[in-house]
Amino acid sequence: MKNNALQINGKDNVAIAINPIRPGDYIVVNNKTVGQAIQDIEPSHKVALVPVKKGENIIRYGEPIVRATCDVKQGEWVHTHNTEPIPISYN
Amino acid sequence: MEFMGYQRNNDSFGIRNHILIMSSVSCANGVVDALGRIFPDAITLQHAYGCGYGPDDFTVSLRILSGILNNPNVGAVLVIGLGCELLKSERLAQAAKGKPAEAISIQQGGSATATKKGIEIVKKFIKHTKMARRVPSPVSQLIIGLKCGGSDAFSGVTANPAVGVAADLFVQEGATVIMGETTEMIGTAHILKKRCMDQQLGNRVEKMIFNQEKQVHDALGKLAGLVIAPGNIDGGLSSITEKSLGCIAKSGSTPINELIAYGNRPSKKGLVVMDTPGYDIDSMAGMASAGAQMIIFTTGRGTPAGFPAVPVIKVSSNTQTYRNMTGDIDINAGSILDESKSVEAAGRDIFDFSLRVASGATTRAEINKSIPFNCLKQGPTF
Repeated sequence: MKNNALQINGKDNVAIAINPIRPGDYIVVNNKTVGQAIQDIEPSHKVALVPVKKGENIIRYGEPIVRATCDVKQGEWVHTHNTEPIPISYN
Repeated sequence: MEFMGYQRNNDSFGIRNHILIMSSVSCANGVVDALGRIFPDAITLQHAYGCGYGPDDFTVSLRILSGILNNPNVGAVLVIGLGCELLKSERLAQAAKGKPAEAISIQQGGSATATKKGIEIVKKFIKHTKMARRVPSPVSQLIIGLKCGGSDAFSGVTANPAVGVAADLFVQEGATVIMGETTEMIGTAHILKKRCMDQQLGNRVEKMIFNQEKQVHDALGKLAGLVIAPGNIDGGLSSITEKSLGCIAKSGSTPINELIAYGNRPSKKGLVVMDTPGYDIDSMAGMASAGAQMIIFTTGRGTPAGFPAVPVIKVSSNTQTYRNMTGDIDINAGSILDESKSVEAAGRDIFDFSLRVASGATTRAEINKSIPFNCLKQGPTF
């Protein structure tokens, strides 16, 4: 099957959809099937490759980019509705 | 390696030989506009500054405007002022080095007289600039600005890494590459610090990014991590950190050799970081002022913006945007996704195209004459 999402770094728990991904579609990353999408993922948007618990970091480029504000299921769309920027302390 | 450029008296090389007509204050923009209609091949630069502001903003606008008129792409410059303003047209014209420069004040005779004087001056400039010929010029004398605007989540995997490959090729040739947009370095200080040529520079780059973070935090509070445009979010980016990680990919892999203030000329070759806002046009103004003859600009959502007197090469991160705005975009890095082209091959294409532009090939933004101008202003208007 053709890759339909991009995982940039092996540590990443999300991938970027290359084409529109529909519920039930297999997510294919690096020529491997990684579960099924459970909702629509538009191109350039993120899909969870593994379940992520509330408060855990979302990793892209091998780096934390945001943290989950609720439990995120595998195959779920990951964006501002279920994540928040990681707070920085200014002391 | 060489390109065909215009040698200037001060041993710099232009990739264009423009006549630039600029205002020193916004009150003079009408005459600049009139001259632009009479001489459509001249480049006009109109702006909203020049008076009614404090010393910090005055200093920045003076530095940026005099930097731009001294850009090697400018063969001759005419500055139109009003007469009673803070930033006088004479002062800007006097800042020009090694090129014909003249100033006009509208209060000496009014708009029609100023326009008439301007026509005579520009005619003289045309005779002068017509004599210049392109000569073989070293690529090592090029300063290339890097910019991304309207990013999406593809920018960091296609267009920006491809531009990073081109940036590395320019550095290999001994050229200077400027990365700006401090806002789009937020969240990446630990990475950029390690890329600096020494620890002291690393500490300064880190401090610059932290200061910017703090400034954004003071202004936006809890929303600071989302200091990205609505279009970035539509394009799948969820935080400034995610945007930044993609953004810094365009700087390639060479060490950071210098950190320079907004609009200042680099003193070192290779990769240089400039402290600029993320706002596209403000950021490009800093680079043009630094003497960048060309800017390579990646975009996910698409933008028409070029810059006065400086060719801007537009690289799209995805094919849909390229198809939407083909008339505005020069190169489609979306081919990395849908034709499985390697990032290296796409980067080589960008490098090759940049050299053709340096020798005279026109960019989409030049053809469209999409050349907006604004620069950083932080203080109040009085």
